[in-house]
Amino acid sequence: MVIIGENIHVIAKAVSTAIRERDAKVIRDLAKAQTEAGADYIDLNVGPMKKDPEENMHWLVDTVQEVTDLPLSIDTMNPVAMEAGLKNCKKRPLLNSASGKTDSKEHMLPLAKKYNCDVVISVMTDRGMPPDVDSKIESIMDTVTYANELGIPNEDIWVDPIILPVSTAGEGQRFTVANLEFIKILGDVLPGVKSTVGLSNVSNGVPDELRPLLNRVYLVMLGRNGLYSAIADPLDKELISLIKGDMPKDVELIYKTMDGEDIDLSALSQKQVEYVKTARVLMGETLYSDAWLES
Amino acid sequence: MDYKAPVEAYTGVVREVIIGKGNKSLKIGGENILPLHFFDQGANPNPVKFALEVLDMKPEDWPEHAIEPFKDVISDPVSWAKKCQSFAVDAVSLFLVSTDPAVKNAPADKAAALAKEVAEAISVPLIVYGSGDEKKDVEVLSKVAEVCDGMNLLIGPVLKENYEAVGKAILDHGHTAIAQSPLDINLLKELNVKLSKIFPPDRIVIDPLSSALGYGMEYSFSLIERVKQIGVITKDSMTMMPIIANLGVECWKTKQAKENKKQGLLWEGMTALSLLLAGANIIVLRHPETLKLIKETIEAR
Repeated sequence: MVIIGENIHVIAKAVSTAIRERDAKVIRDLAKAQTEAGADYIDLNVGPMKKDPEENMHWLVDTVQEVTDLPLSIDTMNPVAMEAGLKNCKKRPLLNSASGKTDSKEHMLPLAKKYNCDVVISVMTDRGMPPDVDSKIESIMDTVTYANELGIPNEDIWVDPIILPVSTAGEGQRFTVANLEFIKILGDVLPGVKSTVGLSNVSNGVPDELRPLLNRVYLVMLGRNGLYSAIADPLDKELISLIKGDMPKDVELIYKTMDGEDIDLSALSQKQVEYVKTARVLMGETLYSDAWLES
Repeated sequence: MDYKAPVEAYTGVVREVIIGKGNKSLKIGGENILPLHFFDQGANPNPVKFALEVLDMKPEDWPEHAIEPFKDVISDPVSWAKKCQSFAVDAVSLFLVSTDPAVKNAPADKAAALAKEVAEAISVPLIVYGSGDEKKDVEVLSKVAEVCDGMNLLIGPVLKENYEAVGKAILDHGHTAIAQSPLDINLLKELNVKLSKIFPPDRIVIDPLSSALGYGMEYSFSLIERVKQIGVITKDSMTMMPIIANLGVECWKTKQAKENKKQGLLWEGMTALSLLLAGANIIVLRHPETLKLIKETIEAR
């Protein structure tokens, strides 16, 4: 599993302040910490970057590349900032992200061709977020075909099904289930494409102390279904241990839960019970509530 | 080839909850089929029940045509409750609106004494709703529970903000609880999980909030439907409780119901029928003629 380190993002106040005030230390520390923790890419999520996009992006890319040799994922919806970022990358970068929206097709996808880089393409279209597996597949096939016509091969495309919070009343669990299914069949409908997800969004709106558990279990589940990469927190040691094969028994337990096997909870440690209960929520088997571990 | 209709058998059973004591008691819930799925394997042993509203003070915002059936007793909750019985109700629901700090801030012991007097005066079980003020209700509902010790009233709303205190009083004095959450299935389950740690789940009734036709009823419908599906089909222990649809108060707030009587009856009737189809187990109405209308509809008269 390829991990794209998510920790440099402007939603974090420390990061937005650091960019604005050119405080290189904050950025370097985050880049170094993620590199040492085993990240494969460093994501630079700068949001829309309306002010001085070129200058800001130059500085950020240079600052990060001073301390890491990892390739970068340039994460912005502003094509000007995107181009400035891609242009300055030493290693082949990841354009994060394009979609099936007209605007994105016209301004983002051509950049992936121009700079010969990998590109994340989400299932979004002008009609918005496709509601189910079939419409997600239909949307992504259209957009990938469009990208192919621009000269971008499947092998350079990382498909993003868009993860939504499991806690969204009534619908959240439908999304987590649909995305498991989507990842499972993606390789059959679009041979050669890779995949990625913005993992942490699955636990948005959930009490803070419970968020990592959802992220970890969901990543294991998606990984089993063939997920290629995830934008996630490499500083979460347990998450990395789970996907790097250091916790095979726990991974096996999550797989068994996915397979609907009978599991004797009384024979498990508390942490393992939490894995099972969390997997059951993510596969839509038990109804989500913030108290899902308590029942 | 002969056609054989598929028959589903589900594993979940909605808990059967008893309200009231002895010959003044009734059962709600207990079904192991989805609402009206009488073609599937299983049964609903306790068809939907109906209660009428009684307020602990003269209503301030009811239209004339809603007051009319009770106009001779409208300032006397005990006589009002007795009169409800002449309309063949299964239960009476007393609303302690005067205790609301924003209304009269009436004291808890006065409200509790009234609840006891009403409960003793009628021959059907009593439901008691506090004002919904999460702080004042701790005082009011605890006092009601204490004064009516052992009568097994159905008391609520128990909220996420006050479930520990109110739940304890309801439990200690042998009553049944209404767990209320704001139109959200995840929050609904969470409250049941938390309440169930200090309270027997077979004495909990779910109030998911029942919006009126045209004012969000479809949300209440979907929610009630989903609670039943998750309980009966996937056997989620924390949604296998019967549901109370307290819809009279919502329906009679609407412009349409206030405008004229016929419209009001239809508004309340359509909302009640819809939520009944979604799976509500007990329905609280305001107008006795709505009750008559629904009973006629159910019995296809």
